[in-house]
Amino acid sequence: MTETTDFEAKADIADIAVERYKQGLLTRRGFIAAMGALGILPALGTKAMANTKEIIVVNWGGQAKDILQEVMCDTYTKETGIKVTVDGSGPSAGKIRAMVESGAVVWDLCDSGAGSSLILEKAGVTQPIDYSIVDKSKVLDGAVYNNGVGNYVYSYVLASNPKLLGGNSPKSWEDVWNVKDFPGMRTFRKSVRGMLESATMSMGVAPKDVYEALGTDDGIKAAIDRFRQLRENIIVWGSGSESQNLFLQEEVAIGNIWSTRAHLLKDQMEEGAFTVTFNGGVVAPGIWVVPKDNPVGTEEVMKFIAHAQTPELQVKWLEAIGCGPANPAAAPLVPAEMQKWNPSSPENLATQIMYNDTWYAKNQIAAEELYVDALIN
Amino acid sequence: MPRLTDKARYWMLVLPALAIMIVFYILPVLGIWEISVTEPDLGFGNYVKMTESNAVKTSFILTFRVAAITTVGCLLLGYIVAYTISNFASRVTPLMVALVLLPFWVSVLIRSFSWIVLLGRSGLVNDTLRDLELITRPLRLMHNEFGVLVSMIHVMLPFAVLPMLANMRGISPSYTDAARGLGASEWTAFRSVYFPQTLPGVFSGALLVFVLSLGFFVTPALLGGGRVLMISEYITYQIQEFLAWGLGSALSVALLVATALVLLVAARFMNLKSALLDRH
Repeated sequence: MTETTDFEAKADIADIAVERYKQGLLTRRGFIAAMGALGILPALGTKAMANTKEIIVVNWGGQAKDILQEVMCDTYTKETGIKVTVDGSGPSAGKIRAMVESGAVVWDLCDSGAGSSLILEKAGVTQPIDYSIVDKSKVLDGAVYNNGVGNYVYSYVLASNPKLLGGNSPKSWEDVWNVKDFPGMRTFRKSVRGMLESATMSMGVAPKDVYEALGTDDGIKAAIDRFRQLRENIIVWGSGSESQNLFLQEEVAIGNIWSTRAHLLKDQMEEGAFTVTFNGGVVAPGIWVVPKDNPVGTEEVMKFIAHAQTPELQVKWLEAIGCGPANPAAAPLVPAEMQKWNPSSPENLATQIMYNDTWYAKNQIAAEELYVDALIN
Repeated sequence: MPRLTDKARYWMLVLPALAIMIVFYILPVLGIWEISVTEPDLGFGNYVKMTESNAVKTSFILTFRVAAITTVGCLLLGYIVAYTISNFASRVTPLMVALVLLPFWVSVLIRSFSWIVLLGRSGLVNDTLRDLELITRPLRLMHNEFGVLVSMIHVMLPFAVLPMLANMRGISPSYTDAARGLGASEWTAFRSVYFPQTLPGVFSGALLVFVLSLGFFVTPALLGGGRVLMISEYITYQIQEFLAWGLGSALSVALLVATALVLLVAARFMNLKSALLDRH
């Protein structure tokens, strides 16, 4: 039997592809697809990959994808000549883990959350942040971790539609649980994150004591019980866009939603049909994590993270999509009319509490179980 | 070359399909069984956790209840549709069958989204009712079990209609004609002559709808408002949100076993082979 495949021709096509990839004429995805089609990806191995410089940053898609590309990535390419591409397919912790464990890592940098970054670190699928390249002092307190670093800041805030509430709107979480004066549907997240805090505050606990109150089983049960009381008035949101839709469709009058979505809604809802208060909000940082064995290498990624710390860029980021700067040095640069929408402005930080990851690492899974039970049972 | 026996030839035909089944189905399923007892710790911890959890119990009950109601709804509506198609209007039969098949080919996601448009607070149904001044405040038609059921019955209906239709088309009209000729009323002829002959179709439709509904994900996730959490959504939740692959796997094993039990119980009361494979 003779061999019918012309390996030399294939190797030549592969060489061309590698060349084009290096020149930036072919994306990494296109390159991998081409190699796969030729059936020679395994033969090439990681050697060709290591020679190429393109950083793939993954976030959660939507508008944020294009803006991240424009504000952070294209500016980096302009400075260094290194191509950075944003992929909006959503780097859930499950996907990152699956990718690393199957040995087929395509992502270099992922927009994760504080809780996920801790779980991923424990699972051993992320790399430590190199703080000799990334500057710790350019990150808000509470957003610096071994295997993750603050990228931007968002909050869980109290949003409402006064039009559906007869011109009224709740000012505090206590009001949210007051169905008599504020009738209508509420929306909460399909997870305890940022939600238990509001339920605890609704019982009159001072913001600074929230996690202490949630420190005991009774405290958690009491907070969960608040949701059971409100159950008939709750619709749950799973994704940010879902929470946005619930307001746009006027399905809900009140909600505990992300400040980034509130930022979009303020422009989409008609005048007088949308308000937000940061009072009793929970500030959570977006966290960069770097998957183990990322194709472009550790150092390249760290340099990009350091670039994204530039205060001016972070202000642009806030203006475009409502993500507050993680770099405290950016706050004074924010234009006056944007200040009140900035989750990390000094005034807003004063009325909010910081998301507590150690609490979540310890209690989240057990609390989720009780939360689901309260909502469905 | 020695002559192959019939049996060997038969096996050679089956072998490729069997190999594909083993590699792409049996092995992954075994992998799931393995994860459920090895992660995070070796042993049956996940199963213990599962049986202790109130939320899991509620979710299982909910799943079976929704599946059962969906099945009943699909059978009632589907029987009428199948009966009409097979017994009346022979000229428009192809059109009627097409009308059953067309939605069947549209993505479940799109069909579920359409229900959101229809059932929303300011959706078509509520707006119409308000314009007719039948209601003053919008009805809550979705983000609850009602919305899930309406949409699931719609999505599952073809799975009930098609087996029943195939069955009814095989029934010769001469039996009912004979009954009528012997003096039976229309209703008696239907009840004691026609209906018993359609039972195999009804059973296979019921089984198909029920088993598919047990593992259904999209519609409850979209229209349930988070409070109609069926077991498959619960599994996604465990795996995507908490990386609790062990518990997620244990839940899916439980769902698989529950489905198998349904089939076993069904097999006691009916001939599965004739209900699912035979076309009269």
